[in-house]
Amino acid sequence: MLDNEKHAAVLEACGVGKSFGGVRALRDVSFDVRSGEVHALMGENGAGKSTLVKLLAGLHRPDAGTVRVRGRRVVFRSPHDALRRGIVMMHQELMPVPELSVAENLLLGREPRGRLPGTIDRRALRREARRLLGLLELHLPVDAPMRTLSVAGMQTVEIARAIGANAAAVIMDEPSAAISEREVQALFRSIRTLKERGTAIVYITHKMDEVFRIADRITVLRDGERVRTDRADRFSEAGLIAAMVGRELSAGRLRARTAPGERLLELRGLSRPGAFHDVSLTVRRGEIVGLAGLMGAGRSEVAAALFGLAPAASGEIRVDGRPVRVRSPAEAMRLGIGMVTEDRRGSGLVPLLSVRENITLAHLADCCRGPFIRRARETDIAAQAIAANGIKTSDPDQAVEQLSGGNQQKVVIARTLLGRPRLVILDEPTRGIDIGAKRDVHALIAGLAERGCAVLLISSELPELMALADRLIVMRQGQVTAELDPCTVTQEEVLSYALPV
Amino acid sequence: MKRVMWLALAVLCGCGRPQQAGKQERQVVIGVSLLNMANEFIVTLQAAMQERADELGVRLIVNDAQRSPERQVQQVETLIAQRVQAIVLNPCEVEASSPAVLKARAAAIPLVNVNSETAAQPAAFVGSRDEESAELAMDYIAQRLGGVGGVLMMEGYMGQAAQLKRSAGAQAVLARHPGLKLLASQSAEWDRAKAVTLMENWLQAYGPSIRAVFAQNDEMAMGALLAVERAGRKREIVIVGVDAIRDALQAVKEGRLDATVFQDGRAQGRGAIDAALRLSRGETVDPEAWIPFRLVTRDTVETL
Amino acid sequence: MRYRFDRQSLTRGLTVWGPRLGLVAALLTTCGVLALLRPHFLSLANLTNVVRQVSINGLLAVGVTWVLLTGGVDLSLGSVVALSGVVAAHLAHPGMYPLWVPITAGIAAGTACGGINGLFVARGGVPPFIATLGMMTAARGLALVLSGGRPVSNMSPTLTRLAGDWLHVPVPALILGGVALAAGWTLRNTRPGRYLFAVGGNEQAARAAGIPVRGIKGLAYTVCGALAGLAGVVLAARITTGQPNAGAGYELDAIAAVVIGGTSLSGGVGSVGGTLLGVLLMGVIGNGLDLLNVSSYYQQIVKGAIIVGAVWFDRRQRGARVK
Repeated sequence: MLDNEKHAAVLEACGVGKSFGGVRALRDVSFDVRSGEVHALMGENGAGKSTLVKLLAGLHRPDAGTVRVRGRRVVFRSPHDALRRGIVMMHQELMPVPELSVAENLLLGREPRGRLPGTIDRRALRREARRLLGLLELHLPVDAPMRTLSVAGMQTVEIARAIGANAAAVIMDEPSAAISEREVQALFRSIRTLKERGTAIVYITHKMDEVFRIADRITVLRDGERVRTDRADRFSEAGLIAAMVGRELSAGRLRARTAPGERLLELRGLSRPGAFHDVSLTVRRGEIVGLAGLMGAGRSEVAAALFGLAPAASGEIRVDGRPVRVRSPAEAMRLGIGMVTEDRRGSGLVPLLSVRENITLAHLADCCRGPFIRRARETDIAAQAIAANGIKTSDPDQAVEQLSGGNQQKVVIARTLLGRPRLVILDEPTRGIDIGAKRDVHALIAGLAERGCAVLLISSELPELMALADRLIVMRQGQVTAELDPCTVTQEEVLSYALPV
Repeated sequence: MKRVMWLALAVLCGCGRPQQAGKQERQVVIGVSLLNMANEFIVTLQAAMQERADELGVRLIVNDAQRSPERQVQQVETLIAQRVQAIVLNPCEVEASSPAVLKARAAAIPLVNVNSETAAQPAAFVGSRDEESAELAMDYIAQRLGGVGGVLMMEGYMGQAAQLKRSAGAQAVLARHPGLKLLASQSAEWDRAKAVTLMENWLQAYGPSIRAVFAQNDEMAMGALLAVERAGRKREIVIVGVDAIRDALQAVKEGRLDATVFQDGRAQGRGAIDAALRLSRGETVDPEAWIPFRLVTRDTVETL
Repeated sequence: MRYRFDRQSLTRGLTVWGPRLGLVAALLTTCGVLALLRPHFLSLANLTNVVRQVSINGLLAVGVTWVLLTGGVDLSLGSVVALSGVVAAHLAHPGMYPLWVPITAGIAAGTACGGINGLFVARGGVPPFIATLGMMTAARGLALVLSGGRPVSNMSPTLTRLAGDWLHVPVPALILGGVALAAGWTLRNTRPGRYLFAVGGNEQAARAAGIPVRGIKGLAYTVCGALAGLAGVVLAARITTGQPNAGAGYELDAIAAVVIGGTSLSGGVGSVGGTLLGVLLMGVIGNGLDLLNVSSYYQQIVKGAIIVGAVWFDRRQRGARVK
């Protein structure tokens, strides 16, 4: 099928599968990387790229399928196991020892021994460090503490370390995410050096241009499955995007534009130092406003301020035209604001409580007479919410942690809607849930607007925002940079306002 | 006392004669470090010391080591730094409190151990022989039972000097009376509540064979008494404690507790201050002053 | 419909009751072994003794269950027991006040201590370990000051009757039964009870759901303090004195019983029923070791081993369930 059959696979995954708490992250994926090759792994957030490389690097163990090194089946019990077989992983968040010197980090675990047992030959250590950096034509101060280096500097040290360790395969998880274009060029030079030495490289990235510059082969994952593996020159940019996004993109908008109602929420010059600055926006009844931007652009922080989780320092919030102060979630709820928080496991669900108890948690008073819970009423209310939100559970008394990710998310939404909010804030409501559940959640959100609810939707998936929102507000580094019409704008345009300058 | 001071002050102001002031400054100061002021016996000891010090016009600096030998050593170091003329130590621990004794010796400040001992040799010791208390109590039990019957022993915190010595004293008497059978001996950790529980369980386990209980302190004796009374069996069982705390004396007066052993804390406290004062003046004292124990029964309780 | 005997509901029943069943089995096995070795273990008089003896640890354990559910801890229990006992004993000399005065005062002293703990933990953000460690020292000191270091005796027999029997049932056990029922029912059937689980299970989620997290934490410590106060009064009645040095180490016995009973130290899971089983297990073992006249040295080893063993076994079962 492929031309370079002469190269044997150095590292390979055969039909691997992996689930986390009922959520399938990978299903029957096969993937291999050969000596002297850069194999790029692409896909949207949550497509399963990180899970796959974590299986290859011994951070997770597959539920199904096998991992092979040079054709021999291996079972990694730990990342250390993988390291011993020459598999090196460079993490998104690099983990060097910041207080040790560059040379010490380079040769960590392989220090040249001194004459006395247990000592280190410092001269040899620095000589070897200089030699490794020289291979990459780098001139870093070997005695400087690691923490003084830039991210790019740390990356090159990691690469040099992989060379020093005679790594068979190096896995790079978005190495270019946090470095400048000039540094990317230096990174690519280092990668080429690695290639020439016969190392196999797995390279994860989101950036189109990079992929075609560096990759020999590309594998696209979508929703935990492999969509296509081919030589890089056989992909067109459009074809690559189509493979990543799938048919969903062409499905287009999920709802008709509605006539905007009265203004329900207005923010004027809302600021919180270090989080967001001078944010003004309006949400009307029956309208879905999409908040676009990269992670860390301040979208979740604005939502937290609106819901009283982390109040703003200055600026004004108006509900129904009247200025209000929101100092706690309880106050927000009294004003008719409901929120589905980002990260349902972190701040949404109480995992050990049952589905019923999680649904009624925020509005337990509705099921009570005085402080006493009326069990029958609670059961009724929970049953209605389960039906209304399409939660699939065998029993309302099931522990919520046993549900799939999508159903867990619906539980959080059901809880929020129980208070009949007039404004609903949803922060990443479809992150990490499967396609079916995603569709259900989209329908729930559209239904909310239809019933006259004002909706503020935060999502990192642009297609989702463009399919649902009536207006798009883009944030970058804590500030609003654009207000766009999702029906006419392209993804690239939105990104141009979201990407840091 | 107060009047004397006012007089001295008046003389001082009126005449401004320096030698008068010198006399004021020469008031003897004695430093005291006590095992634990949460313990009633130690409180008695301390009250007796204060009383004697007031009589003699001596000033006391009293520290509570709260059972910690380490804290006790620190306290003695501080007393040495304050240049007190003598120290009275009520040791927490045989070995661990010894550095306090050595430090005082090195600083040439006379130190008197009161109530219990240290491994290091102090200038003087005032106290009682703990074994004697158990011997008195056990002899009394042997006499009441006519030398025959089942006996239970409640011990203190295992491994503490008082527990070890009182057990040894009791065992010595038991060895002389083959008719006395030690049914069980367990620790109730000097604690009244634990003693109640232990006695309740013993009443179940040994039933009618129990004829007497020896508790190594009065707190436990009071606990045992409560349990035995609640079981309605006080008439058959002799209970004896040690220490003669207020509650126990009251119970002896009322005829509920059979006997306790009086450790004369007052005599120990007063004796310790006397010895410390004399040593501070350079006089010699008896290196070991033994204050005898006294058995307290209903007949003798009024004589205390 | 309600009684489906399908596999799923059976599995669920086992997961909910599994750890509890293990504990019941441990309790029954211990009782069985003791009954074989010492037949009078099963005598009515001895069993009455056991429930009497566990009542004080039981009251403390029920209270500290609330605190552990929020993910906190209370180390001040033993000292609070001493303080409230001394307070009650001071007001309980014969002919001084009617019975309710010393009882109320003792409970009030405990409630105040718990309230202060709660204030520092919930409002002041002081870690529970530190806040209650401070209270442990301060309450003990206050008890010593109030009593002058001596036991407060000469107690009116009306108060000591609190430790006696009523229709052959020990009154302390009746008190514990009533308190446990109320505490357990409150946890399961009231809003504050539900919120306690939510705060301990996921504090952030509880906050986002608009639950008054601080108030709930404060409530847990206050209830715990109140029950420690009640335990102090009962203890004082049992030993007919207010002892300033009573209760040393009681907090650890109580926490051990709660954890044996299946309550997680990290909060969010637990029940009063489990706590009572844990309390009983510890009580039966203590009673049994005395009946068997096991040496005081070995008793400590056995108790330590059982605490760790019971929790290890419990966690192993839960670990298996998660996988």
